Amino acid sequence: MGRSYQTSDFRNGLKVEIDGNPYVMVYFQFVKPGKGTAFTRTKLKHMVSGNVLERTYRTGETLQAADVEEESMQYLYNDGEFYHFMNEETYEQVAIPAKGIEDQADFLVENDVVDVLYYKGSPLNITLPNFIESEVTYCEPGVRGNTAQGATKPATLACGATINVPLFVDQGEVLKIDTRTREYVSRVQK
Amino acid sequence: MNPTRLRQRAAITAALRRWFEANGYAEVHTPALVTSPALEEHLEPVEVGDLFLHTSPEFAMKRVLAAGLCRIYQIAPCFREEEIGVHHQREFTMVEWYRANAGTAELMDDVQQLIGAAAEAVGVASPVLKRRSVASLWAELHLDEPEDEVSWFQLWVDRVEPALVEPTIIHGYPAWQAALAKECRGRADRFEVYLSGIEIGNCFAEEGDAGVLKTRFETSATKRSEMGRSPHPEDASLLESTPRMPRTAGMAVGLDRLVMALTGALDIQEVQVR
Repeated sequence: MGRSYQTSDFRNGLKVEIDGNPYVMVYFQFVKPGKGTAFTRTKLKHMVSGNVLERTYRTGETLQAADVEEESMQYLYNDGEFYHFMNEETYEQVAIPAKGIEDQADFLVENDVVDVLYYKGSPLNITLPNFIESEVTYCEPGVRGNTAQGATKPATLACGATINVPLFVDQGEVLKIDTRTREYVSRVQK
Repeated sequence: MNPTRLRQRAAITAALRRWFEANGYAEVHTPALVTSPALEEHLEPVEVGDLFLHTSPEFAMKRVLAAGLCRIYQIAPCFREEEIGVHHQREFTMVEWYRANAGTAELMDDVQQLIGAAAEAVGVASPVLKRRSVASLWAELHLDEPEDEVSWFQLWVDRVEPALVEPTIIHGYPAWQAALAKECRGRADRFEVYLSGIEIGNCFAEEGDAGVLKTRFETSATKRSEMGRSPHPEDASLLESTPRMPRTAGMAVGLDRLVMALTGALDIQEVQVR
């Protein structure tokens, strides 16, 4: 038996096992009816299919930790069906089914190092670095001096992603991106 | 902390005080350090030496009623251990008021007016509270009301609360959820107020029989022992003064949550100084 998590341990990113399947917690909220015991509402995303479960746990209930391990690996290429990664020390290669990666694939750049997630010994999924840097390959021309809060435009990045950026950003600039929120963080001095 | 929210909170607090003043409620200050923190078995107090910080000013305010004041209110910090989340903090602010010679019907009118005054203070339309019974909520979802406590709350949290999008007064809770309220025909004579699906307040038609209250303290103590928690000590001065308390209804509203509901804040930390 692996470790288990109390409701007070719940946080986004927690990897747990439910009915023999690996899930990652993507939402949790403490709730307590006026005269009752406390609960935590959660949303749990299946690590392979991406299906989201909504479950409510009473304080005192526990969730089993998923049998997962992470290993730092370099991204090599994808052949449409699988994404291939390599251990930089042993040169061992693994292939992950595309559906495990698809919502992160547009931030993957060849030769970047990511954490490959193994569930019960099989590579399933990856965790991108929290921040990546990528060049803007296309956006509308920058508007000088426009720092209006909240105003954005779409920009296409070299890594393949399209994100919203502030109006002053220009084509050719390198941006720092938060991969967890898919949000622009800052411009990077070249 | 969000400066805009703090200004809105100040405007709401001032409006509440004006409403209480205009309606003949006297502001009282009761001790935050108490010997008996609560009656309800699911409230965890913050301990300070051999005393507790109050989880609400209820017991002391009832002694003020027994001493002869008929309409009283208080805006006070309260403390509950083990409650942390976007709608919970260990320290929060309670707006609590008591009205002698009144029942839950009068307090439903009070809370509607009070929320209206608060809404006006921040320039939003006053939420109009629908009045619904617990039984009608179960019926609407085609659910039978569970008899045991764990299933009742699990289904409440899973199914009923997410469907409560409109501003609502909910009455007719099961008798086993009476806490300090009177019982009436097998149900508790109390109500809760929900705004945006979040409970912001609770009202009791106060139980005035010291013998009944004493039994409830004993039941709670037994349950807490079974839960492996230390029982809440009985409040001897509350029980002693209860026979002198007039027929009363009392209501507690979480100020932080009221401000959140009226301003659209999503995290309680936005409306608190933290």
